[in-house]
This record gives sequence, C-alpha cells and structure tokens, in this order.
Amino acid sequence: MHQTAIDGAAGRGGQLVASQLTKDFAGLRAVDGVSFQLAQGEILGLIGPNGSGKTTTINLLTGLLRLTSGQITVNGTDVTGWPPHKIARRGVARTFQVVKLFKDFSVRENVEVAAISAKGVSRREAAARADRALETVGIQHLADVPASILPQGEERRVEIARALATEPHFLLLDEPGAGLNDAEIEVLLATLQRIRQELGCGILVVDHDMRLIMGVCDRLHVLNYGRTIAEGAPDDVRREPAVIEAYLGTEVVAGEPAGG
Amino acid sequence: MTTSRATTGEVARRLSTPIILLAGLLALTLLAAVRDDIVFERVITVMLINLVLVVGLQIFMGNSGLGSFGQYAFVTIGAYGSIWFSLTPQQKRVALPDMPRDWWLYEQHLPFWPSVLVGALIATVVGALIGIALVRLRGAAFMIATFAFLIVVNRVALQWSEVTRGSRTVIGIPKYTGLWTAFICAALAVVLAYAFKESSIGLKLRASREDEDAAASLGVDAPRIRWVAWVISVFFSGVGGALWAHFIQQFSPHNFYLAETFLIVSMLIIGGTGSVSGAVIGTVAVALASEQLRQIENWLNTQRTEGTWFGDLLPFQFVGFTEIVLAVAIILVLIIRPSGITGGRELSWPRRWSRRRQAMPSPADAPVKPS
Ligand SMILES: Nc1ncnc2c1ncn2[C@@H]1O[C@H](COP(=O)(O)OP(=O)(O)OP(=O)(O)O)[C@@H](O)[C@H]1O
Ligand SMILES: [Mg+2]
Repeated sequence: MHQTAIDGAAGRGGQLVASQLTKDFAGLRAVDGVSFQLAQGEILGLIGPNGSGKTTTINLLTGLLRLTSGQITVNGTDVTGWPPHKIARRGVARTFQVVKLFKDFSVRENVEVAAISAKGVSRREAAARADRALETVGIQHLADVPASILPQGEERRVEIARALATEPHFLLLDEPGAGLNDAEIEVLLATLQRIRQELGCGILVVDHDMRLIMGVCDRLHVLNYGRTIAEGAPDDVRREPAVIEAYLGTEVVAGEPAGG
Repeated sequence: MTTSRATTGEVARRLSTPIILLAGLLALTLLAAVRDDIVFERVITVMLINLVLVVGLQIFMGNSGLGSFGQYAFVTIGAYGSIWFSLTPQQKRVALPDMPRDWWLYEQHLPFWPSVLVGALIATVVGALIGIALVRLRGAAFMIATFAFLIVVNRVALQWSEVTRGSRTVIGIPKYTGLWTAFICAALAVVLAYAFKESSIGLKLRASREDEDAAASLGVDAPRIRWVAWVISVFFSGVGGALWAHFIQQFSPHNFYLAETFLIVSMLIIGGTGSVSGAVIGTVAVALASEQLRQIENWLNTQRTEGTWFGDLLPFQFVGFTEIVLAVAIILVLIIRPSGITGGRELSWPRRWSRRRQAMPSPADAPVKPS
C-alpha cells in the first residue's frame, strides 16, 4: 500500500527538495547537512528525540529561519533565502508546534484569511474555500466559534484547515498529534489519508506519537542532534540500531509494536 | 447547509455597524445645527475634525497593532499644503509674507475642496516615502520612529518660513470648514475605515497583528500591507489638517505638536483601538467630557475670583484641569480596560440569542438547528 502511494506521487512530478540543510544557532548546530525529498502525494515522517532539529527544519523549509547553508527547491524553483510569504505562495503550508491561531478571529475567519492570502481570491470565493477546508478536517460545526475559546485538540485541526485553505502542494505538520487522545489520533490518521488522496498534497509529519507515524507515513527520516541517522520505509527504520539507540529509554519505537 | 443563510445574516449585522455610527454622528450634528448655541456648534465641529484624525489613526493602529505618535506630522503638512492652494496671491501676501513672489506656488489658487485634496495628497506622498522605512520596524522602535518624524516635521515647519511663516502664526485664512463640511469628512472616514477593516487586506493585516509568523506562513506580506494602511491613515491626517486650517483660520506649527498628539491618541485608546466604533465613541466621549470639564473649571474659577464662600475654599486657580482628568482617564482605562470602552468590538445589531448561547457546539449538533 505504501509502495503504490509512492508510485502515484511520482506520477504527479512535483517535489520539495531539501539539500544539505544546515542551521547554526550561536555555537549550536541545530540542523546539520540534512537532505530529503518530499513528493506530492507522499507522506514523509520526520522523527527524532527532543531537540533533534525537527522544528528547526520546518522553519528553514518555510523561510521563517535563514539557512546557514544548503538549498531548498519547490517544484523545481530554487526558493533558498526567500521570505516566508513568498515560499507560502509557492504552495508550501505549515502548522506550528506551539499553535499560532489568530485568536481575535472566528474559526472561519482564520481559515478564510489563509485562502485570501495565498491566492488573492475574493472574500466570497475565500469563504467557499474555507468551508471546504473546514469540512475536509471535519470541523464545519465550529466555523462561527471564536478561535480563543477552542480546546487544544480543535486548535490543531483549525491550523490544518487553515494551511489547507492555501491549497498547498506541500503540507508541513509540526506535531499535529500532540495532546490528542487515542480516538482523536485515529481521526487525524484518517484526515491525513484523505488530504493525500483528495488533494494530492505531499505531507511532512513531525510527531512523537508512533501510532500516528507508523500508521500514515510512506517513509521516515530520522534526526538526532541535527543529523540524519536513518531513512527509509517505516518497518526498516524502526529496526535500525542507530534509531533504537537514539530512542533508547524512550521506548517509543522499540517498545510499541502496535504501530501499524 | 445553512452556511449561506448564516452569511446573509452576518452581512446584515456587519452593515449595521457603520449605519449605527453614522446615525449617532448625524444626530449630534443635527443637534448642533438646530440648537442656537455657537459654543456647542464649535465643540461638535472640532469633534468631527478630530474624528477624521482619530479614525485615520485607527485605520493604522487598530489593524496593524502598532502605535503611531507621528500623525501630527501629516496634519501639519496637510494644513500648510492646503492653504498654499486655497489662498489667493493677495491673501498669501498677508498670510505667508515670506513666500517669494516669483514662486510658482505663489500664483496658485484652487477652490476649497481641491485644496484639501492637494494638501492631503502632499502629506500622503511624504507619508508613503517615510513609510517604506517605517514599516520594517515593530513595537517600541516603530513608535519612537514616528515620534521622531513628528519632531523633524515640526522643526522644519518652524524654520522654513517661505512656506510656513516659521514660528509666527499664519493669519487671514478664509473659514471654509463648517459643521457640515466636518460631518461629511468624518462620515467618509468612518465608512472607509470600516470598509478597510472588513476588506481582505484589512483581514490580512489583522491576522499579522495577531501573529506575524503565522500570517507570513499563509502568504501575507505584512510590511507591504502595513504600508498600505499607513498611507491611508496618513491621507486622513492630511485631510484633518486641511479642515482644521480652514476652521481655526490661524495657526502655527506649535498648534500641531505634543498636546494635540496626546489628545487624539487618548481618544482612540479610551474608545478602544481595535474597532472603528472605539474611535468614534472615544472621540465623542472625550470631546463632550472635555467640554463639561471646561465649564466646571470656568465655574470654579469664577467662584474663586468672585470670592463666594465656596470659592474661598478653593486653594488655587484651576488651570489644565481638563488635561489632568483626561490623563487620569487614560491611566484608568489602561489599567481597568486595556482594550478601551468598546473592548475592540464594533457596535452592531445584536446576534440572535440562540447563536450566542451555543458558542461552543459539540460535534453532535453539527447541523445548526434553527431555534
Ligand atoms: N531560536 C533558537 N535559538 C537558539 N537555539 C534554538 C532555537 N530554536 C531551536 N534551538 C535549538 O536547536 C535545537 C533543535 O531544536 P528544535 O526545536 O528544532 O528541536 P525539535 O526536534 O523540534 O524538538 P521537539 O521534539 O522538542 O520539538 C535544540 O537544541 C534547540 O534548543
Ligand atoms: Mg519541535
């Protein structure tokens, strides 16, 4: 099943390519020569222990942080050094580990503003797109609720809907499963599958929840101390000694065989 | 789906805001027009001119979340810029005696409205240019830069006597701004500010105010949009300056400085920066309260000079009473209700009760039931 998805993605052609991404913070190399490709229609898991550079990688890909060195291309266009809003308009959308909703807005407005910003569509068209995105994520019933009163789990879903409303080619999700219970993880799994199938986005998922990662990803890319320590099919990656060692004591990979 | 019907209701609710605000302003203006009270008419006219400035300021501050202390730089430019054109060459000889007779500007003469427009446009061009640099700043740096620009313009106006008569008062400006002129401009400002806020660009700017990183990740170019709002805001400052010049009929750069800046910023903060309603309510409240305070101040001082038993109790002559109360009011508002009287909300036709009650529906009642 994973294999067919990759084949399907290859047919669409578009790719987000990260080559030799490196980021230094005053003395600390947070990301160190990381390279990977994300095809449209593919779901790639980016995992690693706390502080291994996952969020920093997403911040580099979306232009929120400047690369120390390395190169990023989106569907063949070199976007290295571009400001975030230009990269966004190239079809790269994201969510944030620490949720960043527009608290003064209703849920619908949060999503509407995304549709307006990315494509410059009219407000009426934006409202229609917002409704579609809310439906995809399954939160149409929350459309008129103020974003400031949402519970945490719903906040993350609104962030996904907001990202989707930009009609992205690539969707980068930073811990979409954080704080969700088992049932909610199941719903999220289904949602991600649906986004891939219906919209054909390439999705990068960062998460610590191995049920989510193993359940949805075609491939995994594992970081530790900013470096790539493994990549490949989920079942292969979880047997890699380096991965087991990196996670030693945290037991997530080795100790939770109920993954898929 | 009920979406389309809900949206129609929402549109009606949104339209109700400018209608309510304009109705209120019209009522006050009519009252001033029919009451045979020159002082009251003057109070309302000044209030409406200030409203153009405060609403203009709200367009920028409310939507971008940045504070500006520089609006009076553009009021200055709008005021002088408009009289350069509204005055005839003969009038300029009196009002601006230092202007060389062989200047192109000396010969120019336009009717009132075109002069207002030209004055405002000169202010806008200056604002647009300085804005290119300003919008890259944030927070305190932005506020300080706008304030610094006010100082620059003020100093230039004081020195450049060919076009401003320097620190001396320009006199003999015809009185073109009346109650209804001021009302028309204030009404236009209110409608435009509200339309801007609700427009897609306004929505994007408010999103960047809430979280600039998140907005950028959706494709919002915050500095560029801030610049647009800044330029519109500056335009209204210029219009306000032009109106003021033709109302007060004589002024110098000293009339466009700190106390005036403090007044319009207070009006906006007291009313609530986040909404156009806040700008209107703050301006009206402060204008009417100031007038009451001024009357009380006069009464107290009269008691004292006449030496009544009550007047003898007063320890000193009251000067600047109004300003002190205004300053205390702003401190109280900042402490008790930091987002102003309106709390950043717009006045509008109330939503139906049922909608407000089910603010947080559970997925179970997803299809909205009409109740
Ligand atoms: N703005 C910053 N300035 C300095 N150091 C930073 C900054 N952002 C991240 N770091 C450091 O870079 C390293 C990688 O952080 P990052 O947030 O990318 O990790 P992560 O893999 O997302 O971790 P987690 O699973 O906890 O979210 C950490 O050591 C972190 O302390
Ligand atoms: Mg992280």
